[in-house]
Amino acid sequence: MSPDASTPATRPTPAQSHATGNSRATGVGRATGVARVIEAIADAAERWRDADFPPRLRTTRALIERTGYTEPVVDYALDALFGSLTAAALEGTIASELGSLAALDEFVPRQGRPDVRFAGVARTAIVSSDTTIGVAVPALAFALCAGSHVIVKDRSDRLVAAFAATLGEELPELAQRIETSIWNGADETASRAQLESADTVVAFGRGESLAAIRALLRPDARFVPFGHRTSVGYVARETLGSSADAGSRAGITGRAGITGRAFDGRFPAARSASLGAARDALLFDGEGCLSLHVLFVEHGGALDPAAFARLFARALDEMATEFPAGYVEIDAASTAYRRAALFRTAQSTGAAFGSGPKLGGIVTSLDEVVPSLGGSDASLAGVEAPLCNVRATHYVTLDPPLADPPPFLRRTVALYGVSGPHEALAFLRRHALPLEAVAFGDGAPRTDLVEFALASGAARIATLGELQRPPLGGEHGGRERILPFVRAIYRG
Amino acid sequence: MNDAESRALDDAFLAVVADWSRGGEGCSEAQFDELARATFAYQVGRNGSYARFAAASGFAAGSGSAAGRMPATWREIPAVPASAFKDATLATFDVRGAELEFHSSGTTAERSGKHYIERAALYDASLTAGFDRFMLSDGARLRYLNLVPDPRRKPHSSLGYMMGHVSVLRGDGKAAYFFDDDRLDVAGFTRALEAACAEGRPVCIAGTAFAFAALLEALASSGTRCAAPPGSRIMETGGFKGRARVVERGELYAGLATTLGIAPEAIVAEYGMTELVSQYYDTRASRSAAGPRIKGSPPWLRTLVVTSDGREVPDGETGFLRHVDLGNRSSVVAIDTEDRGYRAGEGIVLLGRESDAPPRGCSLDAEDLLARQSQAAAVPR
Repeated sequence: MSPDASTPATRPTPAQSHATGNSRATGVGRATGVARVIEAIADAAERWRDADFPPRLRTTRALIERTGYTEPVVDYALDALFGSLTAAALEGTIASELGSLAALDEFVPRQGRPDVRFAGVARTAIVSSDTTIGVAVPALAFALCAGSHVIVKDRSDRLVAAFAATLGEELPELAQRIETSIWNGADETASRAQLESADTVVAFGRGESLAAIRALLRPDARFVPFGHRTSVGYVARETLGSSADAGSRAGITGRAGITGRAFDGRFPAARSASLGAARDALLFDGEGCLSLHVLFVEHGGALDPAAFARLFARALDEMATEFPAGYVEIDAASTAYRRAALFRTAQSTGAAFGSGPKLGGIVTSLDEVVPSLGGSDASLAGVEAPLCNVRATHYVTLDPPLADPPPFLRRTVALYGVSGPHEALAFLRRHALPLEAVAFGDGAPRTDLVEFALASGAARIATLGELQRPPLGGEHGGRERILPFVRAIYRG
Repeated sequence: MNDAESRALDDAFLAVVADWSRGGEGCSEAQFDELARATFAYQVGRNGSYARFAAASGFAAGSGSAAGRMPATWREIPAVPASAFKDATLATFDVRGAELEFHSSGTTAERSGKHYIERAALYDASLTAGFDRFMLSDGARLRYLNLVPDPRRKPHSSLGYMMGHVSVLRGDGKAAYFFDDDRLDVAGFTRALEAACAEGRPVCIAGTAFAFAALLEALASSGTRCAAPPGSRIMETGGFKGRARVVERGELYAGLATTLGIAPEAIVAEYGMTELVSQYYDTRASRSAAGPRIKGSPPWLRTLVVTSDGREVPDGETGFLRHVDLGNRSSVVAIDTEDRGYRAGEGIVLLGRESDAPPRGCSLDAEDLLARQSQAAAVPR
């Protein structure tokens, strides 16, 4: 796409281009082969980045209807999805995995190996789950780049179909290679009809759904499953400020009773981490594989984990105004979790913080629930906050029992104080948590934290606040992007 | 237990049970209220964990300047979540002297709740009275074929203890157990049922819904069917907690009727908890009527339907079940549950614990975790 056409508001539509004889539409002087496909995908994505693009507007409404997420959340998802779908990202990823972009169009030499060319598998099937937004689109893009015909199990919002229509406007041959359909996954006959001829099948969903899909495939078909996973954050002591930030050599503890003002203008790294973690926890109501449910906070910084918990609770309040909850009723599992947290808090074995817009949309200030952090019975004497607010729309618990699995609940985060990454790793292993990503505060993580991330099994190391915006070129789930959709032909 | 206050509460409770067992009212609303509040006051005076929780809820025991507000009615008694039995020892006595100790199952099996009961007599009295009323109103002496753990092998299973008690007290002396270490002894059960059929002895088959589903699967694979003797019945309980596989209850009962020859009307769903001394059962009327089954309880077990933050909902509206059980004298009188339901006349309709949050997103959730953790197969109750 030429630089002068980069602004959606001024760029002619393909129809207009055709009418005016624009060379882009006729293909004169255009890239050929895979480069044409990449250009078309990037151009289509560019149009979808415009929040006023009519198909996007229609799809946004349908997505809100289907998922229940609020409009800012759906907008964030679409911005992140189509924002990542650039020509540079596609080209870079393909070149990285195949050795060169040209390998999709011609034989290319390789060091110490025969010349190779990559051709797309004849048929790719992508089964997107009913619980995510646009998860099929990146896979679709790479399968198209590979040259494969693609069938996508679309959802009621018809996001993929709408994007495919835009792709067809950009490059009509793409429309011939995409088929979107909606079928009932529980209907084995229908699923088999769609999947049994596929050379590569990409599927998203629960383990049992993935197992059912796998059973329908040809023995020689490639299966690329993406099961449910989770992500965790780690706030290192360096992020938690220095004694200069604290204004004292002793640092600040949760017991010291920090008020909101105590943080103002201080602890910039901690505040940034808290806001980032809040965004990661609240987006998609905490229901994505990149959603934050566990936050490890290291002892040894100027702020102790309890103080950071309060900072984090405030950050959640702030972020909740940007990304409101997509529901008003607290579900049963969350209720049970909060009741248990409240009981433990009353026993002075932890703390819980709940706040946010309550039922009826009334915004409340932070409601700290008996913050008797590690205290004795006497600490209850000064408690003023009522032991309630189980209906808050977001919730943080400090140091819940390590024997309990983390709360995979909507907008709920368990914060664990740890002496180092070894404790965090022990927790992850204890509960056998399959990780998609580990996020740290700003800046390069320490060597031992990188080692922790590697040992955790995560596919990605990210910065807090960026969890929900994975780059297109990253290996989602630890898997290659285009390799599943190609077969290699070597010469020699 | 030899202090006068404990003995007075126990005597009052046992008198209520005895009266109800003889056909009396048991306890009126006013009597229940008085006993419940007295039990609460007694418990916060002897149980530090409950006292701290009650204090944080705005209630405190004590006298003089330390005196706090006490519940005005039994409906105000602060209820601990059932999970609290995992986090604290909730007992009014030195638990080394407990006559009964029941452990709850846990989804991770690492932490189980422990319910210590000071006097088995209270549990036994409550159990027997309720069982007689709801399961044995015809006075039948049955053979108990139990798909629950043998209490001699699993002394901390409340369900095992329960069936052990009634099998001895109300059985024909040939009770047997066919569920051990999470495995069902299908062959042994089949032989025992065939023997009962040959003798014409009606049976009571007791077990969890999960155990019955497994039994039906096994019998179906072998093509086994039988017709249990007239008067036979089933007590089903426990649901599918901690299990990945779930069978719809209507389907389960139809399968039991077809395979074992016991009509759905003779299948009684019991609802109890490790953390409670007393139990609910399907009422006879609702078992043979169209519509949802209504659960009834003895009058010393009463239930509030509340919102997530503890406010009572109007009759007929769905909420969380909060039980107040006078039999829980030595632990905690009021328990909040994860179970949802609604009030229907004098009873409740249990809706269970099915998630009310629609599945969304690709995040791991408790169900995923359960499927990943093979150790999750703990025996309910």
